[in-house]
Amino acid sequence: MTPRPPTLRDKRRYLLVRVEPAGTPVDQKELYYTIADAITSLFGDAAAAVMIQAVVAAEGEYVFIRCRRGSERELAIALSTVTACRDTRIALRIIAASGTMESLRERIRPAAPAPVPAEEAEITFGTTTFTAVHGSGQKIDVIEKGFKNAHRLYLTREDLELP
Amino acid sequence: MKITDAAVFPYPHGDTSVRRLALEAAALGFDSLVAIDTPAAVYGGIDVLSGIIIRDTPMRDIVNRMKRLRESGAVISVMAGDAGFNRAAIGLKGMHILRGIHAADKTAFDHVSAKMASDNRVAVDIDLSTIIGTRGIARQRAIARYRDIIVLERRFEFPLTVSTGTASVLGLRAVREITGICSLLGMDTADAERALGGVEQVMVPPPPPVRVIA
Repeated sequence: MTPRPPTLRDKRRYLLVRVEPAGTPVDQKELYYTIADAITSLFGDAAAAVMIQAVVAAEGEYVFIRCRRGSERELAIALSTVTACRDTRIALRIIAASGTMESLRERIRPAAPAPVPAEEAEITFGTTTFTAVHGSGQKIDVIEKGFKNAHRLYLTREDLELP
Repeated sequence: MKITDAAVFPYPHGDTSVRRLALEAAALGFDSLVAIDTPAAVYGGIDVLSGIIIRDTPMRDIVNRMKRLRESGAVISVMAGDAGFNRAAIGLKGMHILRGIHAADKTAFDHVSAKMASDNRVAVDIDLSTIIGTRGIARQRAIARYRDIIVLERRFEFPLTVSTGTASVLGLRAVREITGICSLLGMDTADAERALGGVEQVMVPPPPPVRVIA
């Protein structure tokens, strides 16, 4: 099939989205279905068909989402209603929208998450012992010690200095 | 005008410490938070206001609690009930926000309550957690109820507040996202911004009817 000439193609927009919590593995296909469900549930099938969203790339904790030009506002609203992907709780933070993925790549912060220092690897908060799983600046995410309990707590380094 | 999230539930209610919520809220464009059952403080430039929610309590007990809490400086909210309960709650001195109106009866907040709320400067809260976190009929009902509240707000000009009602940092939303969600309720950007500043509006005492100039 011959590709359409550029003047006859749909104009697209790309949204750069950061997936939280940091370190969550993102499966593009699963995320696509999650977003499609959010759009359909909020705006209906007709609007979803106009939007033609697609998860085009995932780079680390960042995801590129494509939609038809003019529907990025509706897509952004639908993205803000995403609370979980499969059984994993996530939040999608919209960083920017643009006409090309290249210009969005410039908005990606290259800083990798700071490694959790060894002395903070095991943390006592309240009366429970936690293991640090992610740290970045003041933020530190911990999970309760024990392989069966994977529930994250979101703290700051300042919290851990409390008695 | 301070952009405020009118209810968050930090640790131990939720999985996020109040400091972390303040840190994230600052990054998302907020100036202050109302943290339920948490002492007031300032963390990283964010004003954390203490919040109290009174729910499932008879009116007599609410009156007694309100007398004790009035001078505490906390943002006092009451969960909505039926029409009579709501009118009585709105008339209480020291009451700031009427919450959970989406879950109350359809006739629980009418034009009489709206006029009272306007006169007493009591805000009605728009809880976005129902719009973000639910699907289907529950969300449709919440949107319909809030649209009805907006119609009354345009007519009677009582304050509105907006809350994410989150117990986790993952439930916080950026100011721009909240404006987008509010557009589903028929609010434009100016309405949404005014609602985001609603907590400051209800916490500042109203100007006296007569001003002494000498």
